[in-house]
Amino acid sequence: MSALAEMLQGEVARAAAETLLTVENVSLTFGGVRALSDISFDIRKGEIRAIIGPNGAGKTSMLNCINGFYHPRSGRITFKGKTRQRMRPYEAASQGIARTFQNVALFKGMTTLDNILTGRTLKMNRNFFWQLLRHGPAMREEIEHRIYCEDIIDFLEIEHIRKTPVGKLPYGLQKRVELGRALAMQPDLLLLDEPMAGMNLEEKEDMCRFILDVNRHFRTTIALIEHDMGVVMDISDRVVVLEYGHKIADGTPDEVKADQRVIDAYLGVSH
Amino acid sequence: MFYREAGQFKTTYASDMAVLPILQDRIGLAVILLIGFVGIPLLGGNFFLQTVMIPFLVFSLAAIGLNILTGYTGLLSLGSGAFMGVGAYACYKLTTIYPGVNIVIWIVASGFFAAAIGVVFGLPSLRIKGFYLIVATLAAQFFLQWSFVRIPWLYNYNASGAIEVPQRLFAGIPLTGANATPVTRYLVLLGIVTFLTWIASNLVHGRIGRSWMAVRDMDIAAELMGIRLLPAKLLAFAVSSFYCGVAGACMMFLWYGGGEANDAFNINQSFTILFMVIIGGLGSLIGSFLGAAFISILPTALKFGVPALGIAIPGTVAEHATYILLGALIIFFLIVEPHGLARLWQIGKQKLRMWPFPY
Repeated sequence: MSALAEMLQGEVARAAAETLLTVENVSLTFGGVRALSDISFDIRKGEIRAIIGPNGAGKTSMLNCINGFYHPRSGRITFKGKTRQRMRPYEAASQGIARTFQNVALFKGMTTLDNILTGRTLKMNRNFFWQLLRHGPAMREEIEHRIYCEDIIDFLEIEHIRKTPVGKLPYGLQKRVELGRALAMQPDLLLLDEPMAGMNLEEKEDMCRFILDVNRHFRTTIALIEHDMGVVMDISDRVVVLEYGHKIADGTPDEVKADQRVIDAYLGVSH
Repeated sequence: MFYREAGQFKTTYASDMAVLPILQDRIGLAVILLIGFVGIPLLGGNFFLQTVMIPFLVFSLAAIGLNILTGYTGLLSLGSGAFMGVGAYACYKLTTIYPGVNIVIWIVASGFFAAAIGVVFGLPSLRIKGFYLIVATLAAQFFLQWSFVRIPWLYNYNASGAIEVPQRLFAGIPLTGANATPVTRYLVLLGIVTFLTWIASNLVHGRIGRSWMAVRDMDIAAELMGIRLLPAKLLAFAVSSFYCGVAGACMMFLWYGGGEANDAFNINQSFTILFMVIIGGLGSLIGSFLGAAFISILPTALKFGVPALGIAIPGTVAEHATYILLGALIIFFLIVEPHGLARLWQIGKQKLRMWPFPY
């Protein structure tokens, strides 16, 4: 029993030690505005990494750099051992980086199912001529991916809205569909930009559960931006804190909570 | 009451993913096809086929083309008239250079020429969107229309300066030219339209259709899903222009039979097709047919229908009244349902499911 536990622990430790993504000295400027200056941190395989900070600290800019929307002025980003300079978002997607957006960016005219199926685009290989027929191999491929998407729908408990156009859904469900669409990509790294913004307590609890389940069940590494400190401190393994484009702290939730600079810049003191 | 999916259980994903999952819809489609292929040729006179059905089918094909571009991919275009022209002239050149090849093959093949031209004029779509893209496609419209008039090679140096459709046989029966009967032309055209509609339906329901709609709804997120924007948009331009090109070739060879070819592909034609797509419903294949029916059949119906009712009005008055009525009806439908006739059709079906109960 203890041998098994030791072995498992060793497994966990080894997995934790492996670095999935490294950000080294990344700087990003828009004209005269320095959005990010000299940011370095890493994301280990299998962890939940939170990025926090006051508004305008550069959290979303950081995610945009990671998945290729912005090209950093200087610095290096290494993902799965591959360092890159400039990269288009679809290249990031094909390397296994998926993301959700702060303001929901679903395909509003399409149904929930079609949205999630769109996440499988990169995994579909049948060429244009099979697509013209939509029979034989093309249809078999569709069904194969449909089964995968049905698992996600089942996992996120959104079976009842499968065929509803997402534009008609309430906000909380839209956020969930967006998570499903990102999951359909089978990402190695999942970036969540404020997954709980504008949700009530119950919806937040649901979302937390989904995030933890995704992390454990699919073994997906997650980097998330969130303003709800209770949530961040509870679910994340390590936290990096940004302020005005600078990194001011990096560590476990307890370390970060105790850091005087973080308290001054962001957390504040309860009176 | 009779239109319900109750009791029709889907036990496989294939049956759930069918284009027409409800049995009644499939029966309806079969009935429509039966009427189209058998009923109308038997019962409709030559006049009906020539002035109502053939224009309707040609415009339906062009509207499907523009709908793929504007409705599914969200790229506005005013070049569809010119792309139809490319198809017509390509078909003319092909059939005069290689007269031995079956004309139906050339009609479909001419779509590929339109597709190639469409891709060239679609290149700016990566950088510019919306109204600005309209202006870019206007360039295609004006440039191509200019070419049709100014490059005599395109119309084989005819004295008339236009396409003169030669006689071509299809299975031993004249299909184009002066001797072709409307019934033959109608049946071949219906065959082409049915086949291409089936292809379009396959495309928009699969991976490619989803990637087009993703680009339309949220291009940033689409790129993040691994959809490359330029290839997706260019493919939409190619497929759209292919449909417009085939429609243009059909228009010239199976409807007009030559004559006023230069005028047929002007900016008005592009506008007409855009109106069909907007009124029919953006992003809907059935909307393309409804829009084409509305815009192409209604003027004819008003022109010949009103005198048939016994209301004697002079020809010119009838002509102008048609414009006024058509304009008023367009405004009426856009106010009642901005999403087009296809949405009205959807609502109607929804109501029919409940009928005779209110909810």
